[in-house]
Amino acid sequence: MIPILIKRDFTSRVKGAPYIITTIIGILVFVGLGFAPLVMQYFAAAFSEGSLELLVVDYSGEFYPAMAEVAAEREGQSIRIEAVPPEEESAAYQRVLDEGMNGLLLVDLPDFAFLTPDAANYGQNAWVENLVNQSLTRLNARNLGLSAEEMAQLFSSADLQVRQIGGNGDEVSSEDFTSSAVLAYCMLFMIYMSLILYGNMVASGVAEEKSSRIMEVMIAKVKPTELMAGKILGIGALSLMQFAIWVAAALVTSAVRRAGWFGSSLDLGISLGSIEPSLLAWFVIFFILGFFFYASIYAAGGAVVSRVEEVNQVVTIVTMLIAAGFIAAFMSFTNPNGRLAVITSLIPFTSPMVMFARLTLGNPAPSQVAASVLLLILAVAGGAWFSGRVYRIGVLLYGKRPTLREIVRYLRA
Amino acid sequence: MGLRVANITKRFRDVTAVNGLSFAVERGRILGFLGPNGAGKTTTMRVILGIIQPDEGEVAWNGRPLAYWGREFFGYLPEERGLYPKMPLDEHLIFLGRINGLSHRDARDRAAHWIDRFRLGEYRRKRIEELSKGNQQKAQVAGAIIHEPELLILDEPFSGLDPVNTGMLKEVLVEQSRAGCTVIFSSHRMDQVEELCEEIVLIHRGELVLSGNLKSIKSGMGRQILRVGVEGSRDFWRRLPGLTLLAERPDYLEFRMGRGVDPNMVLKEAMAAGQVTRFELAEPSLDQIFVERVGAGA
Repeated sequence: MIPILIKRDFTSRVKGAPYIITTIIGILVFVGLGFAPLVMQYFAAAFSEGSLELLVVDYSGEFYPAMAEVAAEREGQSIRIEAVPPEEESAAYQRVLDEGMNGLLLVDLPDFAFLTPDAANYGQNAWVENLVNQSLTRLNARNLGLSAEEMAQLFSSADLQVRQIGGNGDEVSSEDFTSSAVLAYCMLFMIYMSLILYGNMVASGVAEEKSSRIMEVMIAKVKPTELMAGKILGIGALSLMQFAIWVAAALVTSAVRRAGWFGSSLDLGISLGSIEPSLLAWFVIFFILGFFFYASIYAAGGAVVSRVEEVNQVVTIVTMLIAAGFIAAFMSFTNPNGRLAVITSLIPFTSPMVMFARLTLGNPAPSQVAASVLLLILAVAGGAWFSGRVYRIGVLLYGKRPTLREIVRYLRA
Repeated sequence: MGLRVANITKRFRDVTAVNGLSFAVERGRILGFLGPNGAGKTTTMRVILGIIQPDEGEVAWNGRPLAYWGREFFGYLPEERGLYPKMPLDEHLIFLGRINGLSHRDARDRAAHWIDRFRLGEYRRKRIEELSKGNQQKAQVAGAIIHEPELLILDEPFSGLDPVNTGMLKEVLVEQSRAGCTVIFSSHRMDQVEELCEEIVLIHRGELVLSGNLKSIKSGMGRQILRVGVEGSRDFWRRLPGLTLLAERPDYLEFRMGRGVDPNMVLKEAMAAGQVTRFELAEPSLDQIFVERVGAGA
């Protein structure tokens, strides 16, 4: 019986525009993420390939030589600067405009002014500022009588190496670390979006059955729990298929990148293809458990309303709980083993997202992971029991929405 | 063998919807289930089908409780019609066949048969929401009988159907009954019940008022209806005791005769009043029985 119901709920939605559109958007996002480094490099290259042309009016007389030195040392950047005598200042800006230069730099130590026709070009401004600062530092150092070595010494900075050591003593390299952080954000967001999207689909599916009055025919033939199970499993299968399509898209993207058709400098980057299989397994486990838990609550929500339009009023609170879990998971990223993270990774309302986030970044104690999964499984069973009861009575109730007290009475019945 | 409803009672909080109701239908019969609005017909049907549990009493089919038979033995057309609006007609019928235990192949074949039988061929691939109300209703009836149930329960099956489709549905019900299916349907149209049913059950305020074979119920009531047509004074009957005027038609008057009224005396008075064009003793119509038993306000 249940397979027939699953099939109906699956096939009636899989051909629908909302499903197809969200699937395609997801594919575009994953392909886009895969090529993001390529795109970023392209833009970065486009920027540094650009040139900077400045006229400099130096009232101090000592700044320009330092700046010319610094500009000459900048390899790979096309910088052209030209000193203009102070008495020609008034004509200089006209030259900038006529020759399409970036601007005119006025230096009257300790003041600097940059006159430009394109003040909103932050890239250009940052470039100029950077150049000016470096030149000023060099000038100051020289005036203090520091040698080149002393200068290097003064400006040497510590390179803090953050190294994560796994439980087995192996080191996780920091490149993997960055990449997996971005991945974890993406996957967390997928869990969050899917719980809400597909949970709402369950609720409105149930309400639709009620409002179209098919419910009475179905309830005469099928047990309410079977009806609910069919709906949750059918819609769950939809979401898993969507994930599978997205993962496949990501894998194909990373394979294409590895094949090197787009140049060889693309090793670093973000791709689901580089994901550890164990992380993917945790993702599936926590998504499925979280979905079952929330979907049964959504189903009960759909069962107590009479019309599809009323669904939102009832399920808003469920959606807010999911959002709370998402926020808690997000905060856990900064401290995956902190108190907030540990507690919320045990509470079934938030644990699917928080424990997953902790697993991607931190290294939670196995006992905590086990407790989290166990509590979530218990909550799934409890949620199914609760919703089955509400569903059984709610599906044939029309008209006034039951009060909380009446719902409690259903539970005892 | 057939359906036995024994002493069922169903209360909703402080309202007793059905109170100690008992009746029986033999296999292959068509039973008209009558009663004014709110009499408890839908509740009784839901109890028979096991959608809701009675507080007291039991329902048996062929001597065994319903739970024994599973859910395939009956077909149900609820009063609140409903289908999945987005599903194509043929897929929907196949789906209903499947949840009633048919294999996919059987469900497909029967769906095709009923689409044909109800002349829905041109809508086969159309979504349910694109069908007219009458066609949706035929689709739903088809969904209720697609698995050839032994017991068919239809709540107001004729409401909303035009005369052509009403005739088509009547044919189908008679066919089903001849094939051995027991049919129970409720209706407000007494003429349809009289035409189709051998047996009736009449309930009022959750209690049984009348049940049994329609013919014997009627003859049991006696020929108490008198129709007299007279060309002349229409007031002749006022001097006679025991006559109640039921209807005044252009060409005749209709009376109910009380006990001890001699029709010959009535005829004599009528002849005295003028030329008698019609004189007829008849059994009451179901309509009249209904009104008499549950009150004109129903």
